[in-house]
This record gives sequence, structure tokens and C-alpha cells, in this order.
Amino acid sequence: MTLADRSSRAGTVITSLAAAAGVALGASLVWGLRSLIVPGAVGGLVAYIVRPLVARLERFRVPRGVAIGLLLLGFGLAALFIVNGIRAVVPSETGMLELRIRALYALNQRYQALMGLDRSLTRGNRIYGWLHGDLDPVVDRVNQLLALTPEERAQFVASRPRGANDTPAGSDRLVHYDRANVETLKTRARAALPEPAPKGAARPPAALAPGSLAPTPLATLAEILSTWLVAPLVFLFLLLDTGEIKRGLLRAVHDRLLEPALIVLADLDRALGDYVRGLFLECCLLGLTVGLFLTLIGVPLQWTVGIGIFTGASNVVPYLGSAVALLSGLAYALLAEDIRPLLPMVSPENFTIWVVVAVVLAELVKNVAYDPVVFGGVVKLHPLVMVIGVLGGAILFGPVGMLLAIPTIAVGKVFISSTARQLKAYGLILRQSQEKPVV
Amino acid sequence: MKTKFHLPGIKKLFLPRPADTGSLDASAGSARALFGPPPETAGERGRSLVDFLKQVTLFQDLGRSDLRRLARIVHERDYRDGEYICEEGKPGAALFVLRRGLVEIVRRGSKGKEVPLATLEPPASFDESAAMGTESIRWCSARARGPVSLLALGKADLDALSVNFPLAANKVLMRLAGIMAIRFQMLLDAQYLKESEEQQEAEP
Repeated sequence: MTLADRSSRAGTVITSLAAAAGVALGASLVWGLRSLIVPGAVGGLVAYIVRPLVARLERFRVPRGVAIGLLLLGFGLAALFIVNGIRAVVPSETGMLELRIRALYALNQRYQALMGLDRSLTRGNRIYGWLHGDLDPVVDRVNQLLALTPEERAQFVASRPRGANDTPAGSDRLVHYDRANVETLKTRARAALPEPAPKGAARPPAALAPGSLAPTPLATLAEILSTWLVAPLVFLFLLLDTGEIKRGLLRAVHDRLLEPALIVLADLDRALGDYVRGLFLECCLLGLTVGLFLTLIGVPLQWTVGIGIFTGASNVVPYLGSAVALLSGLAYALLAEDIRPLLPMVSPENFTIWVVVAVVLAELVKNVAYDPVVFGGVVKLHPLVMVIGVLGGAILFGPVGMLLAIPTIAVGKVFISSTARQLKAYGLILRQSQEKPVV
Repeated sequence: MKTKFHLPGIKKLFLPRPADTGSLDASAGSARALFGPPPETAGERGRSLVDFLKQVTLFQDLGRSDLRRLARIVHERDYRDGEYICEEGKPGAALFVLRRGLVEIVRRGSKGKEVPLATLEPPASFDESAAMGTESIRWCSARARGPVSLLALGKADLDALSVNFPLAANKVLMRLAGIMAIRFQMLLDAQYLKESEEQQEAEP
């Protein structure tokens, strides 16, 4: 073996070791910073969505920095508008107590009507016989949440106008509701009395181990903020970038790979753009469908518009839109006292069931029409892959993982297929027809 | 108004060559001058990318702000002597603008030997059809003659320019169409000259 051969082999070994060390270091860094991946990806995705707006402003000879400033100003104003809108809708302390009384009364009345419960709240119809084991604990829990404490009840009574003659009808009704709620709570408590526990079975709550103090809300908020601070930073950084990142990436690419890399990047850009456009269209369509169905069953227009917008916006996270629509519809059904349905078969007694039917129908339309035609057409993913991907994202990163699962899978798929196609087209890997047969 | 196109280096393209130019070594004498170090002067070295782009025929109609925008999306690449910039038979995804050095356009002959067709010098552009979105397969190769520095403008980048800044992109595309038309005219001329030469040789 010559000296040149030896030095060449040593060079190969050193290069391989350095590469392996680099890969291990990179993997450990990614693992160490994994909590920042999701906020970074969210910031990047938002920047990608608003980039065309900056470009549109630049077209009118607005400098990029000013365009970004204007965009942020617009976002700030929109956020202020939304916060003010929410503040205007949020009731006062007394209003909140009244709302809880009404909600509790409506919940119990409708539950009793639906389940055909008797006065003792222990015997009902066949549906109750099937479902009471699961539903009763839920209703009890909601009752506990909505029930007024003695202090709150005192505050509510004190807030009632004095004098029977000038008392508005609504107030009379609320007092009646409150009394009915108290009665129902007592009856439910009697009906749900637990079996006496055997002696010695009760245990004092386990003391917290030293050092395992539960985090305070402020500490939790600080932790969330410190992690999610990355998102606006990534957002700004990517918006300010005028192509340096792409150029830097391509500079690292070998000359022979320049054109394939350009095509792969263009394909990735197209895939991400298609995903964003498809998602936007699907969110709009789902919001419209939910709004239309709820209008048909008698939810007033101003509520259906609100629920539709909220449903569409939350559908960015897969399956969250329908959940939001269901909860909003049920909340309305719980509080509504007077409904005017366009369909004759809807009545106040079965209104809750119709809300569920409307949302289920909207979800069905989404799954049958919007997902395959609108969304599947652009993302080109098998529905099963989408479901498994969303579940995997939820397990790994929670709701944000659900949000990022589909774009990640779509981009990954395009990256692999486009890379393989370009490498073949440029003769960097063998085409199938060029492969030598194995003897 | 008639637009006058100035295409440095393009006149050498498609010109009929003597039969013995199939071999690169045959023209070594005259090529030595071409193959030498790239003609880099101090002034050229210090010239900014925007100033350089202004000289390129393709981008002559663009204003300063559009040129600055363009400078942000082009990719600067350096090639060593003999390195292929783009190869015959491969799909094209970018047009190239020669900034420094010389580029030789070659095509593989029927016997597999490369026949030089033209030598380009700055600020010539080549492989424009790739940026036009024709998805054509290249019919010739481009090879660096000595160290070469050039700019690559991807088709996707040009597409993005068309979406975001249509006026600027339109000016570039108009120039591109003009260049393609001139090349086509030159091809026809070359074909006509070749046929008439062959006819004269065939006559007794």
C-alpha cells in the first residue's frame, strides 16, 4: 500500500467520523430544542401566509420594512378590535351570575325532558336507562360548575331591584330559575348519594413530595411565553428575509445539484401554497355550512355568523372546527329561550338534538365533499394518512402538533417525491430502465 | 420604436465552422487566448451586482429598484475550468448570466465527440428557454473555460417575480422573447448559408 493510499484512507475515515459527529450533534441539538420546533414552525407558517401581502405592498413602492410595519400595525388594530368586541360581549359580574342561573336551569330542564325523568330524578325513559351511567356524572359536574356559592347567591339577591311592582319580568323569572336550580341541586345530591365507604377506607390526601410543588399559573404562563417567544421572532425574521435564506441554502449545494434543488424548492413552495389555499377554502366552506344548517334549525343570524366564523377559524386545527361548532351550538341551545326554526319539525324540546344533527351533517359534508374535493385535491394525501398523521401530531405536540401534522406530511411527501424525480431526470441516480439486472 | 438588442457573444453562436473544429485541440492556438485567465479588472471586481445586472441585455429595461429586487433572487455560482454548468439532454430549470470568465457552448456530435458551437463572454446570458417555462430538454451543454462566475435565475424565481412584480417581470420576459426571436432568426440564416454552401460545392 502506497503512502498516498494510506493518507487517502485516513482522510476518508476522518471525514466519516466528522460527519457522524456532526449528525449526532445536530440530532442532539434538535432533541434539546424540540420544544421550540412547534412555535418556530407556527411562526414560519404565519410568515409564509402573510408574505404575499408584504409583496403586494412592495409593488406599490412601499419599502419592505415599512410594509412589514404596516402589516404589524394592521394585526395590532385587528387584535384590539377583537379584544374590544369580546370585552363588550363579556357580561358584568352580576350578568355572569344571571347567565349561570339561566344556563343551569335550561340544562336541567332539557335534560329532564329528554330523559323523561321523574321528580326524584332517578327514574327515566329507555334512553336514560342506557346512558345514565355515563351522562349523570357529566351533568353533575356541569351542575357543580354552574351552581352559585352562598356568597354568590347573596350577591345575586342583593342585585335584585327592590319592590314587587317595579320589578321587571325577567328578574322575576331569574329568581324563579334560581329557586328551581336550588331544588334540583338538592334532589340530584340526594339521588347521587354515594354508598357509605368502609371504615378505614378513607385516606388523607397524599402529601406532595418535596420539590414537586405544583406550578403556579404565573409560572406556567411564563414558561409558555418563554417557549412561544420564538414564534414572533421566527415570523419577523422570515418576513424580513429577502431571499438570503434560500440563497444560503443553495450556496451549500453542489453545482451539479443547483437546478434539481431549484426545482425541489419550487415544488415545496407550491405544495405549501396549495395546502394554505386549500385549508383556507375548506375553513370558509365549513363555516358557511355550519352557519347555514344552524340558521335552518332556528339559531338567529347574528349567532350563526359568529359561530360560523369561529368554526371556520378553528378548523385550521383538524377536527377542532366541528368540535367548536358543536360546543357553540349546544351553548346557544342551553341559553336560548325563544327559537324560530325554519324547519317545522324543530321545537324547543328537541332543539339540542337538532343542533347535534346540524353539526354532524356539516362534518359529514366536510368529510364527503370538502376534504376529498377541495383539500384532498390540493394536498393529495390519503385520508387514512391524514388521520394517522393528525393523531401522531396530537400525541407528540398536542393541538399545535395537530395543526402542523398535515402540512408537515404534505411537504415531506413532496420533498421525497420531487427529489427522487429530479435526481433521476438529471442522471444523478439511475432510472429504473438503466438499472442493471441482478444475475 | 424599434428596440435594438445587443447580445455580447451571441454572434459567435450558430456560425458555420470548418470541418476540423470537431476536435478542441485543433483550435488550440486561437483558443489559448480565450482560455486564459478571466478578464477581471479591478473596476469590474468592485462593481456591484446591481450595476452588473444593468449591463445585461435581459435586464436593461429594469429600473434601479427592480434591479435591486432581482439581485436578491439571483444565485451567484463559481465554476472551475472544464466544469459543466449545464448538460445536454438534461432538463433546464434556470437561465444563466455570465459575470466573469468564458463559457463554451458545446454539442455532442453524431460520433459522440463534443463540437464547440460558441464561446460566450460577460455579460452574455444563456439557456433562456429554461426560464421561459418550456420544460425543454437542453440541446447543448455549457462548460466553463477557466474559472467562471455566473448568476443563475431559477424559473421558479422568475415565476414568483411575475406574480409579485408583474411589470418588472413583463419587461424581462419581453427581452427574453426578443432574444429568442433573434436566435431563431440566426438559426435560420445559418441554415440558409450552410445549404447554399453545400449547393455550391455540389455544383460542378
